[in-house]
Amino acid sequence: MSDTVLVVGAGPTGLSAAAGVASVGKKVILVEKENVLGGAPILSGYAKLVPSGEWAKDAIGRMVKRVEGDSNITIHKGTKVTKVDGDAGNFNVTLSNGTTVNVGAVILGTGFTHFDSINKPEWGFGTFEDVLTTTQMEQMVATGKITCPSDGRVPERVAILLCVGSRDRQIGREWCSKICCTVSTNLAMEIKELSPTTDVFIYYMDIRTFGLYEDKFYWKSQEEFKTKFVKARIAEVTKSPDGRLLVKGEDTLVKRPIIIPMDIVVHAVGMDPNEDNPEISKTFGVGLEKHGFLERGEHYTSTFSSTRRGVYVGGSALGPDDIDTCISHGLAMAMRAVGDLNAMVQKAA
Amino acid sequence: MATYAEMREIYDEIRGDFRYDHELNGCLNCGVCTATCPSAQFYDYSPREIVQLLWTENVEQIYDAMQEKIWACAQCMTCAARCPFKNSPGGLVMIMREVAIKHGMQSAKDVLRPFGRVMLKLITTGNQLSPDMIQPDHFPDWGPNIQKVEGDLKTLRKAIPVRTLQTVETAWEVSLKTSVEMYTIWEMTGVLAALEAMDENLFDVIEDFIDEKREEYDDWLEEQEDD
Repeated sequence: MSDTVLVVGAGPTGLSAAAGVASVGKKVILVEKENVLGGAPILSGYAKLVPSGEWAKDAIGRMVKRVEGDSNITIHKGTKVTKVDGDAGNFNVTLSNGTTVNVGAVILGTGFTHFDSINKPEWGFGTFEDVLTTTQMEQMVATGKITCPSDGRVPERVAILLCVGSRDRQIGREWCSKICCTVSTNLAMEIKELSPTTDVFIYYMDIRTFGLYEDKFYWKSQEEFKTKFVKARIAEVTKSPDGRLLVKGEDTLVKRPIIIPMDIVVHAVGMDPNEDNPEISKTFGVGLEKHGFLERGEHYTSTFSSTRRGVYVGGSALGPDDIDTCISHGLAMAMRAVGDLNAMVQKAA
Repeated sequence: MATYAEMREIYDEIRGDFRYDHELNGCLNCGVCTATCPSAQFYDYSPREIVQLLWTENVEQIYDAMQEKIWACAQCMTCAARCPFKNSPGGLVMIMREVAIKHGMQSAKDVLRPFGRVMLKLITTGNQLSPDMIQPDHFPDWGPNIQKVEGDLKTLRKAIPVRTLQTVETAWEVSLKTSVEMYTIWEMTGVLAALEAMDENLFDVIEDFIDEKREEYDDWLEEQEDD
């Protein structure tokens, strides 16, 4: 029997879970496959986070520092878990760096993969230099200057296309990625702030700036930053002879097809299941749900359980979610893991 | 003007088609179908509107759309290839057109009238176009670049595997047995009934032709037995 907890993945979910377990005095082994801690917000260079407005490197940086400075937490970077034998309370885990550890519980914060826009060729990503993803645009915002990658000119008009890799049966993405509406309204405001002569248009099917994000992002982006919202899904992005991009859609409220010139087109990319999920499912012996995310066990009385006893799963490994929710999941999983281990100790005594 | 009951009956028939649920799952109203539709660029036609009318069971507007709008669709099915919900607006138009024909709607008659000769050739021989009929002069919509490949057209045609379909003479020369089998198919699938509803004169001409061919075939069969 071991009361050490293995946390897999050092994004917002895993960093929160590791800190949570350590805060009640238990040992944590934190394994991260990349050589950098912080997960998607750091690896993809997110700009300012929703809803705090703090730069990702500052906010997530604090989470990393908290974990790195905790003597209860042992960190393995650039490392994967290769084998998980045993049962709840007594798992024998092998790591890719040759280490073997004995742990009582496993927390999976293995996250997601950004949708690869190459899978929607009609929207021009990979064909035209001035077609970017939201993560690329956030990286541009972080440089402090908004320019067209093709020739460095300041864009007059930027289009953000929502639901790229979401809500699309044609490419097997039948889910709403939940965060892209809010991220895009936030991005529209950041663009306008840095480049006041640039107009931003958002093309949408529905706007899902859920909860308190309605007025803080959706309304604010219109009222204070004059972002234009057009209810249309873009059919294709092409290039006009003068080098500008052309987006073709139907303005469904005006009910006519439209072709509009743009200088930059941004894909609001959705959240795919982690591309490693088939491997994760096999290594940890946990199930996948129908879209390819990790499967939840019974939720009401065994919250954040996976399909294997003693293995917990949360954050965007379960499905698209925002950073704040993932951090809560991490802490909830810490509670579950420690609680279950304490119960096992009491039973054994 | 049709009564509500008549319009309702037409809707029910469209709704009752075995393909309907496959072509229509719901609608997110994104407009990608209309954006991508070549006909919507030129006509008062919108695939999203057709989907919406059917999805909301707007029987009056469905009937109205069948008077003109549905005939603007080119049946290119780009809408079906793009729809994020995997609907097929073009497939729904196909069902609506079939119901319009079945009910002998004037709009269907008006649209099909110029195609009498095509129908005659198609129903009697099974095809009406052979590759050697396809000449650039007849198709200005191919654009000026077609001249670049024109010289190779003869060679390109040879790549078509079915040799008999390469020229007008061979394409329109159909074996007696195949013809008679094809007429049975036209009859059993309701094509001839649809034709009768659309153009009675053309139907009479074609039926005479079919009867003649069937007699010829029967004679040929008897000859075989005699041998």
